[in-house]
Amino acid sequence: MTGSLQRVASTVVLVVVSLLLTALILWASGYPVGDVFSGIIQGAVTATGASTSTIRWAIPLLLIGLGVVVGFRAGFFNIGGQGQFYIGACCALAVSLGWREGPAPLVILCGTLAAIGAGTAWSLLPGYLRVRFGTDEVLTTLMMSFIGALVLQYLTAGPMRNPSGTGQTAASERIPDSFRITDSSGVSATVLVLVGGVAVLVWLLLERTRFGLSMTLVGRNPTMARWQGIDVRRVGLAAFALSGALAGLAGAVELYGPGARLVTGFSPEVGFTAVVVALVGLLTVGGTVVAAILFGGLQSAILFLPIVTDLPPPALVLLHGMVAFLVTIKFKAVWRRTGPEAKAAAG
Amino acid sequence: MTAPSDSASAETPAVRCRSLGVSFGAVQALRDVSLDLVPGRIHALVGQNGAGKTTLAKVLGGLQAPNTGEVHVGGRKIPPGDVRAAQIAGLSMVHQHFSLPPSFTVAEALELAAARKDGRSFFRRTELQRKWQNEVAELGGPTILSTRIRDLHVETRQSLEIVRALAGDARILLLDEPTALLTPAATDQLFERLLRLRDNGVTILIVLHKLREVAAVAETVSVLRDGELVLGPSEMAEVSEGQLSDAIVGPASGADRTVGMAPAAEAAQETLLELAGVSTRESAFELGLNEINLRVESQEIVGIAGVEGNGQRGLVSAIAGLTPIADGSMRLGGVDATRAGPARRRLRGLRLVPFDRNTEGISRSAPLWLNQSALRLVGRHPRRFPLISLRQYKRQAAEAMDVWRVRYDTVAQPAESLSGGNVQRLILSRELAPGVEVLVAAQPTRGLDFSATNFVRRSLRELRDGGAGVLLVSSDLDELFELSDRLLVMYGGRIVARFEAPYDRRTVGDAMTGALR
Repeated sequence: MTGSLQRVASTVVLVVVSLLLTALILWASGYPVGDVFSGIIQGAVTATGASTSTIRWAIPLLLIGLGVVVGFRAGFFNIGGQGQFYIGACCALAVSLGWREGPAPLVILCGTLAAIGAGTAWSLLPGYLRVRFGTDEVLTTLMMSFIGALVLQYLTAGPMRNPSGTGQTAASERIPDSFRITDSSGVSATVLVLVGGVAVLVWLLLERTRFGLSMTLVGRNPTMARWQGIDVRRVGLAAFALSGALAGLAGAVELYGPGARLVTGFSPEVGFTAVVVALVGLLTVGGTVVAAILFGGLQSAILFLPIVTDLPPPALVLLHGMVAFLVTIKFKAVWRRTGPEAKAAAG
Repeated sequence: MTAPSDSASAETPAVRCRSLGVSFGAVQALRDVSLDLVPGRIHALVGQNGAGKTTLAKVLGGLQAPNTGEVHVGGRKIPPGDVRAAQIAGLSMVHQHFSLPPSFTVAEALELAAARKDGRSFFRRTELQRKWQNEVAELGGPTILSTRIRDLHVETRQSLEIVRALAGDARILLLDEPTALLTPAATDQLFERLLRLRDNGVTILIVLHKLREVAAVAETVSVLRDGELVLGPSEMAEVSEGQLSDAIVGPASGADRTVGMAPAAEAAQETLLELAGVSTRESAFELGLNEINLRVESQEIVGIAGVEGNGQRGLVSAIAGLTPIADGSMRLGGVDATRAGPARRRLRGLRLVPFDRNTEGISRSAPLWLNQSALRLVGRHPRRFPLISLRQYKRQAAEAMDVWRVRYDTVAQPAESLSGGNVQRLILSRELAPGVEVLVAAQPTRGLDFSATNFVRRSLRELRDGGAGVLLVSSDLDELFELSDRLLVMYGGRIVARFEAPYDRRTVGDAMTGALR
């Protein structure tokens, strides 16, 4: 118990240190640090619509981040959430545009299932390569992520392009308004119940089922799991599948929620930020919920800040980067202690 | 070659420590240990698992900073936890686990170990070969220098660890359980080497488990119990074996509660495990099996003897379902299981005590309760409610571990916090729980102390008396003779001889070395 308390405390310290370092850099560059941080608070919490915006950005981070947590339990590092998210959104879009006349609930259901299926497929391929041939999943999921982004680009610039669109960036047609589950704020009771329910289900699966415990054993020591009769490959594939499914679901929620159409390269960092979210959340479901809200707030503030200061938005991406940097260092240390056990060298 | 202080210090102990204390959290690993080692002799350090032997060796070697006390090597005080200073003072350690990098060639590994400040950064292969030729002369031909560490036999690796330790001109050698992985013959060879080193003036401190080995090699003996030095260093001639074992075990410690199942009164003899003509493919790491025929009936222990590396791993792995059976068939409880996966074999009552308990038997970082409940995760139960109660899992794990006398603080602590004997108890508590039909026990007592060894052997016997069948793979002939109802000898991936009690050590030994076909 004291061990987990310590880990929480060290994570909090880490976030605070990131804030201080960012403040230091901003101060050294001559920006008004006080204004910037009060701007962050406003943009994330106090300004009109800010807290809604925080939740709106927290939702995809949470769903994809939960996927990272699931993969991680079984010892795999799925960092391709971005591509799985895009592919999910694309498939949901294809279903919705292809069946415009259909009854809304049914179309949404089918679109969501298509998104989940697509996300699953997108991570199952690297997953299969990993459990069958031992291919490094960090590389393959990342590569698949780029392919996913290119597929999105192709679809929005080609087959699904909005012919009347005039903007510089290619975008798809809008889905009918009846298919949307939120207004443009991206938050509604439906979405909150859905996402909350998913988080609870993932928690139950990981912490309160035999399958979840098998995943933990496989993640920590696959050799021992094999000796115990656990089908290590099956568990690994299931973890990959579920991980991709969650990212795909995030894509559907994005489309039926705040998006309504897909713009090429939308939310370009959400999948990667979600990895940081999962790490800051100590790879637990509860921690990831908290971290997702934190980073959702940051994202909301990044969009809000230019309104109140003359700070260029990339300056705040600095804070993102700082947290990611520090959390990776810490993760390395934690992973060495609690991660999968090194293969036996002796004998 | 020799340290300058050597001649002047006939009376200076090679190693001296004063009131060493080490604690890990609430556990006191060493308390107030003071010890002087006379130079040029072989000193043995014995004690039960968890008595603090390895900790003491690490403190002396500078790998572990003590909380209190100080260490002197060759008359020089060593700053706490300073490996480098201990090495410069002439002390070198051979660890319980192999430390040479597996991907290096022997010559490279030795050069790495010997690298000193004055050493050059670049080297040529041929030069290395020449340089290290003498050191490895007795380990094998000239080709050994270009062999990769991972391709060497266990015995050679062990010997090489000693060569490595001496590569830096060490005058004091600490060996932490060097015999744990060795066959009896290799152990004898090791001892001969140590005696030769002693004759050359090297001081040796060796951590051992078996009293027989202590008697064979040591000149003085010291005993640790619960972190305290309870005996020695005493001349071997002056202590009896009885005194030693009393010192090790301590005053009338509560005997292990007998565990096991109620004896099945009129259990009919039935064949629980049967291998007929089983062959497996040879892999890069393991000899293939060649037409193995064997049967384990209920209420019997079948021993598998053999020099390590003659296919025992392959046999256990094939029975477990981890290596596919290429030819022949296997039956479990009378049902064909040739193509069954590991899970189905487990569900049919196959239980395993694997060779390497720390990597194959447990997950070191997972909590105790999860390690204990691992078998509950196997198989599907589609009708059962999917959610489980962790509290129930933890409670049952705690009960099982209590029955088997695993010493732990909480069920949530990671398994790596247990000592070797306790890890084995944990594994037994899982594998010997009700539901066991056939147990395959691979080296179940290797590296364990006396009381843990006795406990494991008693458990196997009780398991057999309760009606189960046991296949016991061991390289300890005494153990096999003591426990086995029948004994098979493996050599080169096949079974070359079958014996019934009473056994003749000589004939069995001949079969093990391939002299008897």
